[in-house]
Amino acid sequence: MTALASPRTPVLASARRGLSARAGSTPGRLTGLLVVALLLGLGFGVAAVSGVLQRSGLVDDVRTRSGPLTVQSQQLYRALSDADATAATAFLSGGIETPAASRRYQKDIAAASKALATTAGSGGADADAVEQLTTQLPVYTGLVETARVYNRQGLPLGAAYLREASGLMREKLLPAAQRLYRAETAQLADDRDGAALFPFVAVPLGLLLLAGLVVGQVWLTRRTNRLVNPGLLAASVAAVLGLLWLTVSWGALAADLRDGETHGSAQVQTFAQARLLALQARADESLTLVARGNGASFERDFQRRMTDLVGRDGKGGLLGAAYDGADADMRRALDGAVADVAAWRGAHRQVRALDDGGRYPEAVDLAIGAEKGSAATAFGALDDRLGGAIDAANGRSGRAADAADGTQTGAAVGLGLLTVVVVVGAAVGIQRRAAEYR
Amino acid sequence: MNGRVTVRRIVAALGVAALLAAAAGCGSTELPTSRQAAGPPRPAGVQDPAKVPAAPGDDTSCGDPLASYRPGSLPSPGHMPAGSTMERIRKRGRLVVGVDQNTYLFGFRDPATNKIQGFDVDMLREVSRAIFGDPDRIQYKTITSAQRIPVLQKHDVDLVADVMTINCERWKDVAFSTDYFDAGQRVLVLKDSTATKLGDLGGRKVCAAKGSTSIRAIAADPAKPVPVAVDDWTDCLVMLQQRQVAAISTDNAILAGLAKQDPNTKVVGPRFTSEPYGIAANSADTDLVRFVNGVLAKIRGDGTWKSIYDRWLTVLGPAPSPPAARYRD
Repeated sequence: MTALASPRTPVLASARRGLSARAGSTPGRLTGLLVVALLLGLGFGVAAVSGVLQRSGLVDDVRTRSGPLTVQSQQLYRALSDADATAATAFLSGGIETPAASRRYQKDIAAASKALATTAGSGGADADAVEQLTTQLPVYTGLVETARVYNRQGLPLGAAYLREASGLMREKLLPAAQRLYRAETAQLADDRDGAALFPFVAVPLGLLLLAGLVVGQVWLTRRTNRLVNPGLLAASVAAVLGLLWLTVSWGALAADLRDGETHGSAQVQTFAQARLLALQARADESLTLVARGNGASFERDFQRRMTDLVGRDGKGGLLGAAYDGADADMRRALDGAVADVAAWRGAHRQVRALDDGGRYPEAVDLAIGAEKGSAATAFGALDDRLGGAIDAANGRSGRAADAADGTQTGAAVGLGLLTVVVVVGAAVGIQRRAAEYR
Repeated sequence: MNGRVTVRRIVAALGVAALLAAAAGCGSTELPTSRQAAGPPRPAGVQDPAKVPAAPGDDTSCGDPLASYRPGSLPSPGHMPAGSTMERIRKRGRLVVGVDQNTYLFGFRDPATNKIQGFDVDMLREVSRAIFGDPDRIQYKTITSAQRIPVLQKHDVDLVADVMTINCERWKDVAFSTDYFDAGQRVLVLKDSTATKLGDLGGRKVCAAKGSTSIRAIAADPAKPVPVAVDDWTDCLVMLQQRQVAAISTDNAILAGLAKQDPNTKVVGPRFTSEPYGIAANSADTDLVRFVNGVLAKIRGDGTWKSIYDRWLTVLGPAPSPPAARYRD
């Protein structure tokens, strides 16, 4: 803005010098009008352009920083929960773990490490959580590998290492991942709110400018009997255009961000939370069987998470509440998820009935088998569906942020140029009238 | 152009300086105060130091704790006396038992087959064979040492066979069969340790399972080792391997199972306690205890006890003669 202001400074200075002497006369008033118009014009320009730059910066943060980091932290949380559930289930199957379970675990650890590296590299929103995760994740994998070695030797010591690993996961890693996810989500919401903030300095200044220009015009018309002052007219038109550009581009940006929030992030939040509940319930289901008749506390955890997920009647809970204000996409995903949960609960009841009835091997088969109707199949369907819904909602959130970014294209330059037109138009128009009095 | 380059250089230099300052700031404030503990985590549920149950003294209130209910003649499998606990079990179709899945050689889960097995488990399979004519009509509920008495009192299980020492204090809560195995407490250390007894471990951490008699023996040693209690015996071995404890002290039979899982450990010192193992039942099920005693009497005599010993416990040496039964009426 200094580039715009500096050539005008001599005009301003001379105007100020003459101000007191000529204040009462028409030329004095003209100079006063000029000063007011220039100040308001420049003020509006500075406020509008800097506001646009700030908004663009925050939208850019949403697009390239807090948005992706939220996705990363959520993937980290999910990958860790999945690793825990997979390790518990693999233990149940007996013998060496299946290739599918081993691949899934490795994928989880790779995904977690990658997400953690990305988060750490860009300075995660919760440095303490990041530190805890980076220091403890290798410890966790070390314990799991030790457990695997002892399992392969047929020694019960492996189970003890697995318990220690799972304890570390549940007591330290998962809570840290959750803290990180919450911090990143809060950061994203802050950036979004900041970007969508109404331009409450620039718009009032613009309205004042416009009012000043109109009043000046009317006054000049009365004084000089000339209908139109082309300079002031140009300045007024430019001021109107500037105001329109500013408010419309802000409105579009806020709408896009709101869209990204309701059709993107809010859905991601719901589905990600649902997926974590499902994963933890799956781990509980496996651990109930691992504990072999001594897993009442895990079974209670399972039931608690199911109630959190869909309520006691299968229609409430997190998923039931998410129907409020859900769009068509979300409704479809919710319908599917609720049906998957119902199927899983049915399978789980059978698993428990078999185990409680002393038919442990059949219970294990039904819990981890790949056949239709098994708890593993129902859980897998639910997990895939929620994963798909999360990816879709993340996509919508990202696209909305891109669109919001698009609304600010050219706004800074355009508003800058319009400001020049306002300033020059007002200066030229008023100077001409003033010259007639010399 | 030249001017711009200069400006860029200045900006870059300032940037680098700022980064260095930030890094130095991090280095001086965060690294020393890093709250992440190095080293392995602790097993879930560890008590360090252990809560040691009030010393029982030498509780002799029950007279001879090893004297159990005298058995009658053993009914033939499938034909239990009407109204008896055994008949209730037979009608249910399975014997529900509490065992450990983490005590190698006595009660443990084979990770390859998912089957619970061991010396204690084979004792219970003989009871199942006597009731049903089939050793595998058993539903296993795995328990920790601390849960042995509560699950019996709540009647969650019919019998518990889990390296359980018979003593007067426990007789107040449950009923025991006759002695089916004689163990005694010793010490397990890593191969590189110079300790040969609890007395050499003053001030060091020594591990045992919660609710076991071993915890008291550790706490009672005049050298004052620090007892650490865990849920399962294998948790002790994990902590020993990770050098979170200096030793494990419990029955030689359990230690033998642990030592077999890690050849870098050794069992040292003399047997300094006597731990007779019994199969426990709810105090009200005296008919079941008599029945179990009948089964034990039979397998002591017909060589079954010795063959079960040979299947699991040769690591403790050749089979001794089975402990003699003592009865009260």
